[in-house]
Order: sequence, then structure tokens, then C-alpha cells
Amino acid sequence: MSTVASVASDDVAQHIGDESSWVHKGGVHWYCAELTDVRRLARSMNAVHARFVTITATELAAGEGFRLEYLWDLDGRLLGFTFHVTHSSIESIYDICEAADWIEREIHEGFAIDFPGRIYEPLLLRPGDKLGVNLREVAK
Amino acid sequence: MSYKLPMGPYHPALEEPYKLDMTCEGETVCEAKLHIGFNFRGIEHLAETRNYIQVIALMERVCGICSNIHTLTLCQAMEQLTGLTPPPRALYIRVVMAELERLHSHVLWAGIAAKLMGFKTMFMECFALREKVMDVLQAISGNRVNYSMNRIGGVNRDIADPQSILQMVEQLEREMASTIIPIFTTSTTARSRCAGIGVLTHEKAISCGVVGPTARASGVPQDLRRATPYAAYSEMKFDVPVEQDGDVRARLLVRALEIMETCRILRQALNKMPAGEIHTGEAKVVFTAGTAVSRVEAPRGEVMYSVAWKENSRNPARVHVRTPTFANMPAIRWMVLGARIADTPLIQASIDPCYSCTDR
Repeated sequence: MSTVASVASDDVAQHIGDESSWVHKGGVHWYCAELTDVRRLARSMNAVHARFVTITATELAAGEGFRLEYLWDLDGRLLGFTFHVTHSSIESIYDICEAADWIEREIHEGFAIDFPGRIYEPLLLRPGDKLGVNLREVAK
Repeated sequence: MSYKLPMGPYHPALEEPYKLDMTCEGETVCEAKLHIGFNFRGIEHLAETRNYIQVIALMERVCGICSNIHTLTLCQAMEQLTGLTPPPRALYIRVVMAELERLHSHVLWAGIAAKLMGFKTMFMECFALREKVMDVLQAISGNRVNYSMNRIGGVNRDIADPQSILQMVEQLEREMASTIIPIFTTSTTARSRCAGIGVLTHEKAISCGVVGPTARASGVPQDLRRATPYAAYSEMKFDVPVEQDGDVRARLLVRALEIMETCRILRQALNKMPAGEIHTGEAKVVFTAGTAVSRVEAPRGEVMYSVAWKENSRNPARVHVRTPTFANMPAIRWMVLGARIADTPLIQASIDPCYSCTDR
């Protein structure tokens, strides 16, 4: 994936029609620039009436943290945004994007990633009585 | 005075093992919270321990009703990573299987909805028809539930005589057009039990990000077969039924109309099926490192697979599945607000919840 530093901006809505800001790969239009503010991204997606699809969490090699891929659908185009989470924490977008509720909870329960700014209701997954357990670590 | 009423996880009024905690005043629901996770299976993690052949068999078990859809979506994602393009005949066979599965799913749901309405005769009628749909699926695949049809680069079984399958489909269409469709769209029983209850407004449907018939019944005209056609859908003519009321009756109408559109697509696919190979024939496939995402319009709505692969690996590095019920289920808490307790089982069933998909 190429990196286009010149389009670096968290206000993604401005770059929706700008093809140079995106690279189409593996069925997704990935936003090229590195983003830092997930809440601003969520507001931008709301502004263009994109539909939230999901967040895919992937655990990276030891000590490198996690990769979170946020996906929205805009008129049939799947838009992807990548965030690297090094300290097991990234702001919640639940209050901006209601559809993200269950997947944030699932990632919290499955990968022990915290989403500050939200309340966790009782467990979705039920490995035991602890909230926020990395199930992959438990399974090792 | 309000009181709490827990329903589930195992309850005669629920078809699936989840829990709805309701706060009620008299017979009216004032607040509701949904809990899932009672049968979590960890399939995504298990997928990382399976090779590219085994993982197809595993993901077919995510759902007992739309099993074919899961392998179709997975194979489409893996085809992006291997650079393989299925031959045209395979794409048509994929459409036939996907639409037969939609037929099976919608008729099964109609039966359950009829039972919850107290319309037991209709339940028996729907399940008798569902058996006949499964007969068609068996005639093609040899199986009635997990069809094992999809593989990377095509399908495993040919439809040797599309015209014989077409005759079975046309017979089914005649029976549905004379029973399920008129009864569900015009009967006073269906109308009185479904109209005006479990409303999901257009705004709330968008806010919750619901998909499939649940979204289309609230005036959201999204359908991946139209928006981003896959398999051979770009060559099919069909309408996407959309209703505006957002109540249980609208969801009933959308599915009833979709049954007829599905038969229309099946007729086209079986009549126009091109000759040729059914798969690319590779005995061994090589994956490029990276991530591929595939989406398919399942009977309940959008299914999404995100598949990541590492260099020279036989196993996926990550498989993430976003099932339609996972997107639709949170909306139930809004649908049951203000509803009578007696209507809540039907309201919950109206999204056609698949717990197997949700707790994958």
C-alpha cells in the first residue's frame, strides 16, 4: 500500500471524492494517510452518511500491539481506515456511531483492548467472570 | 409501578438462546437490554489453526441456515488473495445456490413467524414448502444443510441438468404464489398481529446500521447484489423490495416479495447458465500476503469476511466475520419499546435472528 503523506488529514470527508487519497486493495478503498483521531473519523463518516460496517482487530507480533481496521460503506464502496493500537487503548466511537457498540464490546472482551469513554455492559462473550480478557492469550 | 421481566437465554418464546432484560409497566415494555454470548464458539480463532481447505469446511458451520453464504463469502475473499477467477458457469451456480438458500431461509422464517402469530396451519404449510426447497438443494449438492459447494476458484459440483432444477423451482414458485404470498400479504390475521408493532424508524435503522430485510423494511434500499454485484448478479434482472413502515408487517412484506424476486433470479440463472468448467482446477493454490474483504447479501443481510494471510502460510492469519444478525440484533431494544409483552417474541423473530451466526 502506498502512503500519500500530502493528503494527511483527519477530516476524511474532504477527501471522499479525491481518488489520490485512497488505494483500492483486497476489496476495500483504504485511506492512504495515517489517522490519529478515530472520533473525528467517525464524525466525518456520519457527515457523508456512510454506514458503519465493523472493526476488525488483529493482534500483531509480540510487543507491537494491535491493528484495528474500521470499515464503513458509502454507496456500495467499502472504505477502510487503519489504526495501530500500541497501549491496548483507543477512544470509543459508540456515542457518535451507535452501530459500533457491540463490536467495541466484542473486541474489548476478545482482545482486552480498552475503549475509553464508554460503559461496558455485562459480557458478550463468557470466558469467565473477568471483563477484558485477551482470549487468544487464554487459549495458548 | 415498573417491574423487571427477564426473557431467556432459554425461554419458550425465544427461538434462539439470548437474553432480553425488559423493564415493564403493566403490559408495556419501557426499557430493554439484550445480552448475547451464551454459546460463543471462538470460530474466528479456530480458523487460524486450519489450512485453506479445512477453513472452508469450518466456516460452513458458522450458520446452519445460510451455510453456503459463509463459504461463498470466504472463498471470494480467498480468491482475491490467490488471484483466481472462477469460470462463468461456477458464478451462475453460486447464484443458484445463494438464491435457493434465501428461499429456504425466508420460508423457514415465515413458518416461525406464523407460529408466533398463533397461525399454526401456516407454520405447517411453510415447513412443508421448506422441505421441498431443501429437496432442490439436495438434488444439486447431495446435502440438505451444509452443501460443500464452494471452493477457491469455483464450485465443487455442477448442475448437470439445469432444466430439471428449473421445473422444481417453478413448481415451488406456483405453490408459494398460491399459499404463502397471498396469506401473508392479505390475511387479516397477519395484518392484525403485525401492523404497527415493533417499529424501527428510518432514522434509527440508519443509526443502528441494520442490514438486509430489516433495513429495507425501514425504507433503507441497500442490497449488495445491486450495489456491488458479485458472482453473476450483474447479469440478473430483479427488483429490491423496500417498505417504509418499519414495523413487523413491513418486514413480513419485504421477505414475501423477496421470495418472488428470488424465484425470478433463479429462472434467469438456470435458463442462461453458460457451458464450461466449474472451477479453475488448481490442485494447490498460493496466497499473497495481505488482507482481502468480501461482502455478500445473505438472506438476513450483509455478511462480511475479512481474511488476512501471511507469506508462505497454509493457514489464514486472521478471519473476521461480521454477520447480519450481529448488526441487526441491537436494534431489537428499540423495536420493543412501547410494545406489549405478548408481542415481543414476534418482534424479536421479525429480524430473523440467527444466534449461531452471532455467537460464531
